[in-house]
Amino acid sequence: MTEVQAIDVQGITKYYDKFLAVDHITFSVEQGEIFGFLGPNGAGKTTTIKMLTGVSTPSDGRASVLGYDIVKQSVMAKSLMGIVPDISNTYDEISVWNNLIFTAKLYGVPGARRNERAKELLTRFDLYDRRDEKVGGFSSGMKRKVCIAMALMNESKLLFLDEPTIGLDVESHIIIHELIRSLNEDGLTIFLTTHNIEEASQMCNRVAIINRGKIVAIDTPESLKRAMKGVQSIEVAFKGETPGLQASLEKLPSVKGVQKRGDKIRILTDDPPRVLKELWRLIEDNNLEPITMNTLGPSLEDVFLKLTGRVMEAEIIHRREAG
Amino acid sequence: MDGVTRFDELERSWAITMKDMRIYFLRPGTLASGILFPVALFFSFAVGRNIPNNMLIPVLAAQTILWSSSSIGPAAFPLERRTRTFERYLSAPISLFAVLWGKTMAGVIFGLGITVAAMAVGAAAIGIQVTNIAAVAIGVLLSAMVFSAMGTLFASIPSNNPGEVIMPLNLVRIPLMFVSGMFIPIESLPSVGTYAALVSPLTHTLDLLKVGFGGTSHFGWPINIAVLVIWLIVFLVMSSTLHEYFDRRRI
Repeated sequence: MTEVQAIDVQGITKYYDKFLAVDHITFSVEQGEIFGFLGPNGAGKTTTIKMLTGVSTPSDGRASVLGYDIVKQSVMAKSLMGIVPDISNTYDEISVWNNLIFTAKLYGVPGARRNERAKELLTRFDLYDRRDEKVGGFSSGMKRKVCIAMALMNESKLLFLDEPTIGLDVESHIIIHELIRSLNEDGLTIFLTTHNIEEASQMCNRVAIINRGKIVAIDTPESLKRAMKGVQSIEVAFKGETPGLQASLEKLPSVKGVQKRGDKIRILTDDPPRVLKELWRLIEDNNLEPITMNTLGPSLEDVFLKLTGRVMEAEIIHRREAG
Repeated sequence: MDGVTRFDELERSWAITMKDMRIYFLRPGTLASGILFPVALFFSFAVGRNIPNNMLIPVLAAQTILWSSSSIGPAAFPLERRTRTFERYLSAPISLFAVLWGKTMAGVIFGLGITVAAMAVGAAAIGIQVTNIAAVAIGVLLSAMVFSAMGTLFASIPSNNPGEVIMPLNLVRIPLMFVSGMFIPIESLPSVGTYAALVSPLTHTLDLLKVGFGGTSHFGWPINIAVLVIWLIVFLVMSSTLHEYFDRRRI
C-alpha cells in the first residue's frame, strides 16, 4: 500500500475579483520532504499557502492534505497541520505559555497533554525559562520561535512555513534553519515558501518555482541547475587592468556573454572546455596574467531568472485573457 | 463537521472567549466605549429631570448593556485582522460560526459584568429593589447577547482599524436610544416612531427592565422576548454570512 501524499494539489486556482492570483497549479509533496515554493514577491506563494491551510477558499481545483480534502474535510485536514505565516502572528498581550495553551485548546488537544506538549516545545526552543513573559516584548527571532512552537502544539504532521526567515537577523536565520532541519529529521513534512533562492537551495529536497501564479518548474535544486546547461560559466580574474579585454572575450566563438563582477569576469557558455582552450590562447597572445580561474555550474538563481524570464510574456497575455 | 462534535466546537469557542477576556477587557478603548459612554449618557439624561426612581435604573442598565456588550467585537476583529491573528481561527479545526460565537460570548460577559455592577451600584444609591428577578435576568442576558451579536455583525466590515467599525456602529447605537422610549416616552412618539420602537431591540430591553423594577412593559413581555430572540438570530446569521464572505472568500 502506498503512503498517502502529504499534499496533493490538482489545478488549484484563486481569483480576486477578475485578478488571477494563482492559475491552475498542480503538484504534490511526499511525506517527510522539505518542499520549497520559490517565487518573487507577488508570485502567488502566500495565496497558495492560504488556500492549502483553509484560510482562503479556492476559486477552482482541489487539494488534499494527508488524504483529506481541504474544502470538504477541512476540519480533519486542519487538525493535522501547523501554520507559520510570513509574519509572527502571536498574541502579544499574553504570555508565551498562554499563547501555546490557547492554540492547543483551539485544536482540541486534551488538558493533560497540553501542558506536557507546551513544556516539551518550550524546552526544545530554549523558551521555557521565559514562558511567563508577554510575547510583545520579544525580538523578531524569538517571536518566530514562539510562532513555530504554536504551530506544533497539535503534534502536526505537516508544517507550512511562509517566508520563515524574512526580516530576521543572521543569527536568528541560522537558528530557524537548524530548527527546521531538526523538525524534518523527526519526520515532519515541511512546506516552505520563500523568495530567498539560497534558502530554498540549502533547505529543500524539491523546489517548485512559481511565477505570476503559475508553476514553471518542479524538481530537486540540483536537477534544476543541471537542466540549465546554457547558463554554465567560467569565472576568471586577471592581474591588473587590460583595456579592451571584455570586448575580446565577447568575440570568442563559444562565449555567449560576458559579465563584469567586481574584480572578476564571468564568461557565460554552454561549452566550458572549448572556452577554456580559446581563453588560454587569448591569455598567451596578450601576455595576460590570470590570478584565479573557476568553472561554475548554474546557480538556482540562474535557473530562477531564466525560467521566470522565459514565461513572463506568455503569462501576461494569459492573465489578461483570464481577466 | 467531520471528526469534531458540537461539544468540541463549544469548548474551542469558549477558549476564544477566555482569550478575548484576557486581551480586550482592560483595553482603554473598550473601557471608554463600555463604561464611560453609558455612564456619561445616563447622567446627561438624568441630571435636572424629574424622573421616577423605578425608571432611572432600567434606563441606566439598558444603555450600559447596549454600549458595553457591543464594544468587544468592533475592537477585537479589526485588531486581529491587523495582527493577522484572525487567520489562526481560519486555519484551525473549528467552524467560523463557532469562532463568531466565542467572540460574541466575550461581549456578552463584558456586558453582563458592567451592567450588573452599574445596576447594583445605581439601585443601592437610589434605594430601590428588583421586584421581578426573572424579567431582569432574561432582559439583561438576552439583550447582552443581542447587542454583542450586533457588534460582531458590524465587525464584519473588512477593516483592520477599529474606528472604521465603531463609526458606522454608532450611527445605529445612537438613534436606537431615541426611538426606544429611553429619552422620549413611546406614547409621545409619532406613529412612525412607534413602529421604529417596536422594531428596536433596545425598546424591549428597557421594557423588560422596567418590569423588573416594578414598572410595566409597553409591548408586553412575550413580545419583548420574541423581538430580542428574532434580532439575536438575525444578527448571528448575518454575521456568519458576511464574515464568511469578507474574512474567508476575499482573502
